Amino acid sequence: MERIEQLLKAKIPCKETGIEIRHTICDICCPSFHCGIDAYVKDGKVIKIEGTKGHPMNDGLLCTKGLSNREYIYRKDRILTPLKRVGKRGEGKFEPITWDEAYRICGEKLNGWKEKEGADSVMFFGGYTKWFRPWLHRFAFSFGTENYATESSTCFTSGLMAWKIATGRAAKGDMANCGVFLGWAFNPYHSRYLNGKKADAAKARGVKFIIVDPRVTPAVEKLADIHLRPRGGTDGALALAMANILIQNGWIDREYIDKYVYGFDAFARYVSQFNESNLEQLTGVPYEQAVEACRMIHENGPMAINESSAPLAHHKNGMQNYRAIMALSAITGNYDRVGGQQPITHTYIHQASGYETREEEFFESVRPVGGKKPVGAERFPLWYATEGEAQATDLARQILEEKPYPIRAMVALGLNLRMLPDTQQLIRALEKLDFFVDTDLFLTDAAKYADIVLPACSSFERGEFKSYPGGYAVYTNPVIEPLGQSKSDAQILCELAQVMGLEDDLLKSGYENCVRYIIQDLSVTVKQLKANPLPTLVPERRPYVEGAYIRGGMKTKSGKFELDSCLIGDHPEWGLDSLPTYCEPLNQADEKKYPFTLCAGARIPNAIHSRLHEVPWVRSLRPDPTADISLEDGEALEIQDKDDIEIFTEKGSITVKAHPSARVLPGMVHMYHGYREANVNGLLDGNHLDPYSGFPAYRSARCGIRKKGGEQNGINS
Amino acid sequence: MGLTLDLDLKKCTSCGACAIACMDQNDIDVEQGIRPFRTVFDWENREKDSPKFVHISIACMHCEDAPCVTACPSACISKDRETNLTIFDNTNCIGCHSCAMACPFGIPSFNEEGKMQKCDGCVVRIQNGLEPACVRACPVGALRLVDTSEIEGEDKETSLQKLGREIVEFQT
Repeated sequence: MERIEQLLKAKIPCKETGIEIRHTICDICCPSFHCGIDAYVKDGKVIKIEGTKGHPMNDGLLCTKGLSNREYIYRKDRILTPLKRVGKRGEGKFEPITWDEAYRICGEKLNGWKEKEGADSVMFFGGYTKWFRPWLHRFAFSFGTENYATESSTCFTSGLMAWKIATGRAAKGDMANCGVFLGWAFNPYHSRYLNGKKADAAKARGVKFIIVDPRVTPAVEKLADIHLRPRGGTDGALALAMANILIQNGWIDREYIDKYVYGFDAFARYVSQFNESNLEQLTGVPYEQAVEACRMIHENGPMAINESSAPLAHHKNGMQNYRAIMALSAITGNYDRVGGQQPITHTYIHQASGYETREEEFFESVRPVGGKKPVGAERFPLWYATEGEAQATDLARQILEEKPYPIRAMVALGLNLRMLPDTQQLIRALEKLDFFVDTDLFLTDAAKYADIVLPACSSFERGEFKSYPGGYAVYTNPVIEPLGQSKSDAQILCELAQVMGLEDDLLKSGYENCVRYIIQDLSVTVKQLKANPLPTLVPERRPYVEGAYIRGGMKTKSGKFELDSCLIGDHPEWGLDSLPTYCEPLNQADEKKYPFTLCAGARIPNAIHSRLHEVPWVRSLRPDPTADISLEDGEALEIQDKDDIEIFTEKGSITVKAHPSARVLPGMVHMYHGYREANVNGLLDGNHLDPYSGFPAYRSARCGIRKKGGEQNGINS
Repeated sequence: MGLTLDLDLKKCTSCGACAIACMDQNDIDVEQGIRPFRTVFDWENREKDSPKFVHISIACMHCEDAPCVTACPSACISKDRETNLTIFDNTNCIGCHSCAMACPFGIPSFNEEGKMQKCDGCVVRIQNGLEPACVRACPVGALRLVDTSEIEGEDKETSLQKLGREIVEFQT
């Protein structure tokens, strides 16, 4: 082979090959990451990617998912022009139209309903990956409604609410300085991979790890000094029993509690009922193991605890369980200290970077007054009290029942049809809408129900502002031209605002100018950020100061860490408990017919929701929708590896491959979500929700499993 | 003496990042049924009472005395003079699969034209001062480009190369 051929084949970036490295960011998972990417570009096309070395977020690394960016951005079902539906809803028949035509139709429909029934008859929904959220939020408010919801209706917010209730602020565990890490639902090697690197470093430093997880994960293999295996959704009972053990043994910080904790006596009385007599029966965890874990916490402080967005929250009792876990931080004096749990404020789109922007003011300054309460506010009053936005888990119901008022139209960015439980209910709701416009990169099954579909571009094709931990900010430049006529979601919103004549000059002035508004208090400018291909250190960054928040008085009614919530206590009409009480997680379905616990969404390394299921490289790592079950259950039901099995609930059944494994607790079925041909969320009851947060109980629902064709053999339990 | 790719089985988590990086580097069209050069296993012994989990990522082992080199009737496979990695030029490949029969690890893959292809250790990247794509991607530092002399002192739990040598000895 000629030298030049060799260089081209190996994709060596140099003058001879014409391959250039340009910097962008990954936009496949959540904004807690958005790792830096080196895109190898030749003739306007990305031909390879790598993580950016020296990037403050990922320093050269990328995960399994991020590494599939090239196939992701060039997915075959990318939408290249605006589309207008010509077939039936869901059928997928569209014709291309111009941007002008698309905007005109959207404007007429949306302004039309605003005139007829008011702005609240229109719903605004933001799906993954959240980067456009401030723009959609402001758009909804400027349009005149609080009916703004996001996919955070089922992710992250529940834990955030638990923290707001307790301390008025979000928090993070300081793994870098802890002596013991309570890794509750912690498996960073298959999700949130950069925490794996930090955990490896902590382990090498001698940090003790307590991993709490029903599964035996790589984190258990590599890190665990103690592994506690509660059955899914019983985490609260375990945490309360641990609190009781800590209190009984005097392994608490009395002085700290007296100064900074509210409601300790009531809490201590309540937790006394979780003890030696019932812990194992409630959770499956032997009492002695819990004692050992508490001893380890006591002897190895400070303790940091894993913050979890989904696994702990996705239960009927999810938020209360979370409060119970974080109470351990308060009673041991580990809140607001080096090596413990530290209060944080978000800089920009859920990223705490140590400096402030005007992100919140950007939309709060135009919040409408005097309108109707948003979707879900009546059903989930605590959600509305702390979040001030719509709860999407109540959306389909309100559209179908028109109570307390009808929703006629929806503007969605990246709606995932299979995100919510009871998919059929959402489909019926989408069919009922008078007008639905969806923006997406791909012609998804949700987009097929839309009247107008607008083509969004990927992070490789746009420039965007982004903040990173450690005081960094970046404004990326596009590394390739947008595919077809696609545009950035934020640009689409700004242009639509113009066509619709929204009275919002800032929004109409475009994305970049809005960023100028958001970062106006910083001494770095958009121009300077754009000129730096890597993130820039923002001079306004402030380091963490130990104890500053607790000493200054927390933003709660009592000014303390509230184990007993004043916010909830002041609203008896909500019917919620002010203490972090525990209830059984499972739904009411017949236990005999549905003896297993279904955990929908337990993470696998090669998927995130449905967005990578159509990406051949990552899909090839686990091509078939597969359920992990225990060896014991496999044996009892004569189920072998790769057998077809049915998972069934009152809502229906799906057929998947079985993977019996010693990683799984008997009685549990772990199934990843978002598969078109095996939609596990469609098996879930849309009303099996956490009354505190509104979050769906994806991970603790009764189900049955049987070998396919096994009904006749009496194998069906 | 020369270079080879080694895996620390204790650090590996079977996340598959290396496999995807390899596919991206080598434009593997999995939809056409082309087998990737690197395969990841999340293996367990399936024993309830004493479960054992093993994580493996495997591609060409770049054997020092590579049987595929002598097995190929068309002299497509050779050892790189500088690095001793097992490289190939499949221009003259007749698709006879003799290399695959000779390989103790079942490594050779075949492209759309039936010609052999496999991991070449990203030898051209190495020549240009870059790491192999899989090594560059591994988020837990389990995959490494090492000098073959380093293998001797390794343990088979932390060195796939060491384990591989035992397997080859067992087979022969």
